[in-house]
Parts: sequence; C-alpha cells; structure tokens
Amino acid sequence: MPDIPSAIRPERGIAIGAFSRLGQSAVLPVGVALRLLDPPMRWIQRMIGARQMAYVFLLPNFVFFGLFVFLPIGINIVFSVTGGTALFPSQRPYVGGDQFAYLFDCGSYLDPASCREDHFWRGVANTAKFIVFQVTAMVLISLVTALVLNMKIRGRGFFRAVYFFPVLLSPVVVALIWKWILQRDGLLNAAITTLGGQKILFFVDPSWAMFWAVFVSVWAHMGFYTLILLAGLQAIPADLYEAAEMDATPRWRVLIRITLPLLWPNMIVVIVLALIKGAQTFDEVFVLTGGGPGTATLMVVQYIYETAFSSQVQNFGLAAAASVVLGVVLFVLTLLQFAAARRKEV
Amino acid sequence: MAELKLAGARKSFGTIDVLHDIDLVVKDGEFVVFVGPSGCGKSTLLRVIAGLENVTSGEVHIDGERVTHLPASERGLAMVFQSYALYPHMSVRKNMAFALENMGLKPAAIEERVERAAAMLRLTDYLDRKPKALSGGQRQRVAIGRAIVRDPKIFLFDEPLSNLDAELRVATRKELAALHAKLGGTMIYVTHDQVEAMTLADRIVVLKSGRIEQIGTPLELYNHPSNTFVAGFIGSPRMNFLPAVVISDDGMLRLTVGEREVALPRAASGLAAGAAVTIGIRPEHIDVAPDTGMLTATVDLVERLGGETFIYASAPGLPQITLRQDGQSQFYRGDAVAIRFAAGHLHIFDATGASLARP
Repeated sequence: MPDIPSAIRPERGIAIGAFSRLGQSAVLPVGVALRLLDPPMRWIQRMIGARQMAYVFLLPNFVFFGLFVFLPIGINIVFSVTGGTALFPSQRPYVGGDQFAYLFDCGSYLDPASCREDHFWRGVANTAKFIVFQVTAMVLISLVTALVLNMKIRGRGFFRAVYFFPVLLSPVVVALIWKWILQRDGLLNAAITTLGGQKILFFVDPSWAMFWAVFVSVWAHMGFYTLILLAGLQAIPADLYEAAEMDATPRWRVLIRITLPLLWPNMIVVIVLALIKGAQTFDEVFVLTGGGPGTATLMVVQYIYETAFSSQVQNFGLAAAASVVLGVVLFVLTLLQFAAARRKEV
Repeated sequence: MAELKLAGARKSFGTIDVLHDIDLVVKDGEFVVFVGPSGCGKSTLLRVIAGLENVTSGEVHIDGERVTHLPASERGLAMVFQSYALYPHMSVRKNMAFALENMGLKPAAIEERVERAAAMLRLTDYLDRKPKALSGGQRQRVAIGRAIVRDPKIFLFDEPLSNLDAELRVATRKELAALHAKLGGTMIYVTHDQVEAMTLADRIVVLKSGRIEQIGTPLELYNHPSNTFVAGFIGSPRMNFLPAVVISDDGMLRLTVGEREVALPRAASGLAAGAAVTIGIRPEHIDVAPDTGMLTATVDLVERLGGETFIYASAPGLPQITLRQDGQSQFYRGDAVAIRFAAGHLHIFDATGASLARP
C-alpha cells in the first residue's frame, strides 16, 4: 500500500490510531515487565550458560507444581504413616503402616461388613460398581452418539453442540439440576403422576440411586468422550469407506471390520480416561444423593472427605492412607492411559 | 470383463456442472485412459462409473444392463485408488481377501485366489505384512492385487501412479501394461499424465471442463488432434502454436506468420483472405534448415538431454518456438537458427481452435 499521509484518509487514520493506542496500552505493562526482567536474565545466562537457561524458564512451573501438587502428595504420605488428631506433621506420632493395616483388615474383601473399616470397603465396592456401569454406558453411548453425529444428518452442528454443552457445566450445577428433576416432588415424578403413575422415591431405593448416579454422570461427561471418538472417526480416511463400498462390504461389516478397529486407539483412551474419572467420582454423586440411601452410593473419595473433614473425630491419617491407596490405583490407570496414547501415536 | 456405455451422463454439484452430456462406449477388454488437466472431471467421471457418485441425468450401462442407480457395491467393479486406500490394520493377505469374504467364498477358494494374485504381483513374501511395512510400489501392487482377486467386470484406476517416484512410475506403468495383456480385462484409467495415457491406452478420452474433447487411439490423437486443446495436451514438449493470417488459399496456402510470408502446398479449402488461423507444429517436426528455412529465430535456451536436445527460440512477432533435435545439438544461446516446418506435419486450426484439413 502506498504511503498516504493519514490526513488524506482521516477515518482510516483515526481507526488505526485508536486501535494502535489501545493495543499499545494493553501491552505496555508486559513491555515494562520484560524490560525489567531483561538485565537479570542476561546476568543469569552469563553465569550459567545458554543451555541451562531452559531450567530457569521451567522453574516457575516447577515451583507451582511443587507447591500445589508434589508437596501435598508428600504431606498426604506423611499423614498416612502418622496418627493422632493433630494437624501439624511434627505433632503427629509415627505409626508406620498401621493405617493401611487397619484399612485392609477384612474377613473377606468381597464383604465390606467383614472389614474393620467397612465404609471404606463399601466405598470401594460402590466405586467399582459405579465404574463398571458408568464406563460401559459411557463408552457405548458415546460411541453410538459419535457414529450418528459423524453421519451426514440435518442439524449435525447443532446436535454436536448440544451433546457437548453439559461438559461445560459445573458438576454441582449438573447434580442440582437432576436433583430438582428426580426428587420426590420433582419434574419426573410430576410427569409420572400426570400419566397416572405413582411417585417413585428415586433417592430412597438403593438401585434407583445408583442408576441415577450413573445416568447423571454419563449425561454430564459423554459430550467430552463423544468428541474424542468423533475426532477419531473423522481421522479415518473417507477412501477406506469407498474401498469398502467397492468391495461390496455390508454396513455392519464396515462397522465391525473397519470403523471399530481403526477407532480402537481412541476407544482405549476413552475407556482409560473414563476409568480414571470414575474412580475420582465425588462431587456429582455427593450433591445428588449424599452417598445414600445409607451407604448405597458412597464413593471412595466421599469416604476420604468424610473421614478427614466431616466426621466428629477428624481422622486425617486414615483418610490419607485411603488417598494413597486411591492414588496408587489412579497412577496405574494413568500409566495405562500413557501407554494407550503412545500406541495411538504409533 | 464387460462393456461400458455412458449415455448423456451429466453430473452437477449444486449449481456447478462438472460433467456435460458424456457419451462413451468402452469395449470389452479395452484399456481406456481418461486424460485431462486438473478439474476437468476425469476422476468424477470414473466415480460415476464406479457408482461412488450418482449421475444427475443420463445413463450408465454395464454389459447391456442399466446400472445408473445401482450402488457401487452391486456393480461388480474394482477400483484402485490414488491413495491405494489399503485397510491399514489388516495384513496384505487380509486386504486382498476382504472383498472375497464379503462375497461369501470358502476359505480355501479365497486363499487360492489371494496366493495366485500375490504370485502374479510378486507379493508372496509380503502377504503377512501390514501396509505400513511396505514401500509405495508394493502398496500400489497390493491395491492392484485387491482388485484382481475379485475378477471384476471392469478395473477402474484413479491416478494410481501419482504417488510413486519417477523411476517406480515407469516400472509400474510397464507392469500395468503387461498385466492388461495377461488378464485381458476391461480397464479404465484416469491420469493427468499424457505419457501414461499414450503408453497404456488402447484409446484415450481427452476431457476438458467436463466435456469430451476427443476420443481416439494414442496415435490418432497425436497425428490428428481435433482442436488446439488436444493438440497441446498430447505430446511432450507440447505442440507449438503460431498465430497466422491467411493471404490466399487456392491450391497453395499462403500465410503471414510473424513477420514472414509462408507458402504451404494444400488442396484448396477456401479459407478467406485475412482469416486468422493458428499453425500447430510439434517440436519434433521442425527442422533446422540453414538454406531453406521458412523463419529465422534466435535461440533463447538449449536443454541438452544427451540423446536429444530441446531448443527454445524466438522469432519476431511470434510466441517462443520449441524445437526437438536428435542427439547433441551445437546451437547456443543467442545463435540465429533457420527453421523449416516438416511437410505433412503441420496442423491448421481456425479461430475457434478447431482443426482444419491438414496442408
């Protein structure tokens, strides 16, 4: 563009000037900060050399992770091997593996009632049951939804957005919405009675409570997993389907022999992520059912929370030991996820 | 093996017409090549034949049976894709057997067909490998093998050599020609490479903007192009086109070419004096003739390929002229070269680009 004085093109000149000033004022603090940082960074680089500078740039994140991730993990481990009710580690007596022994003191691991800490094992059993149903339902429903949303259907973009919206909601909001729908005088019971049926006390019947805990969890998170599977489906080259069509492949066989095997790496990621998320389940179910009726929907994380913070005797040590056990399980699942992700890259 | 017939086939995507009234018969056992520049509709035409695209209007017949609205899976054709479209999670054996399993053949029959095709394509040692463990050329052969095992009515090839390097392309081209000679099946092949078209085809269909410009054997197209498009597309380097104005046409065609007057013997055809025409002459049909040259041009560039030399030269008032000379020419940039158009090889095109009777 020729260099035209702004006086000849006043409107454009004003617009550019205004934006330019706005931009300049926005980046001004950054500019000032960079200028202030420049001399010390140069001094550090002179002292340690350019190659080591990478660690200097990584340092803020190391500090952040150290303070808010690794330090709490360390404190948790310390708590798990110390007893008493004191909060400061220095005031807590060392008890070694007693907390773990107490947690694992069971007549039969399949019968929580035979365990000394039966609530922990009820939480484990409930979480396991929840994971089995939730992961199975999540993977199947996400897969079917992704397959449908991958087809050339009317309003595809709208439906893709609709299925993803619940993912953006806070778990507490999700649980409250469904609580309003499912409670004794909620929307669903209103509909049932309008149709001539009798009210169902969803949160009083243990089977219904677990069903809705799974349902709400699937409803809230399936958009995320659908998105992963949809991305996987769209990564399958279209010409493979055309080749299958030329090969006179029936549609069900295309699904079984081509789509699913090629989607398998994404499925693994979805399964492992859903497993990890399922093992960590707390807020949605806690707000929805409070772990009830009785302990029918009590999850491990809720047990940890209640043992540490909401029982009359705050047993930090026992809660920390349960956290360590859960942490080990999650660590193994995370390794699985990494392995799956690496396999996907290959 | 089968005969293919297209009658008035049209294809539009929304308001864009991609194919216009295509009429074509491919005879049983014939190797026909669709050739044309990018976007001419050749791949769309192949997909229409395959059944991967529906015609907007018109009809498709295979072996006398109307298949216009039959899905691809029911037409009994096999296609080799540009990307090969091999199933990446299946071994070579599974890739080749997949269509046969769909047909419900017994395992022994499938195995026999796969082994036979693999032996023909030198793939026996690779049957248990996955496609990612194969070279480009081997993948190409698997894609062909996948088509062969089905014993299809017609083989369709969609630019199958375009992902191969130059050397492998030449080798695979020869293999394809040998394969056609051996199998004798009807084959339809799409390419934008006129050398592939010339070397493989029994007949070539030249397409431009969704219309057939000319159908003929390679040499018919080379010797008797029906218009400037075909003349320019077939042959490498492309034909020289020189604008000219008719002075007279009464047993001897006299033309003004550039700043020179040129006389060509020809039966009178009554071109009006002053009519604008285009002379077409291939680089290999221009001779260097120091004593009897029709035009004198100045050498701009010389490409010496050892066995042949291409000379690019300019003459006043004319576009750059390309000459092909056998062996190693001694011309250099800036030299004056007197050139003569070889008698019997000159093409005359009218103002619309259509070919007129040869001088």
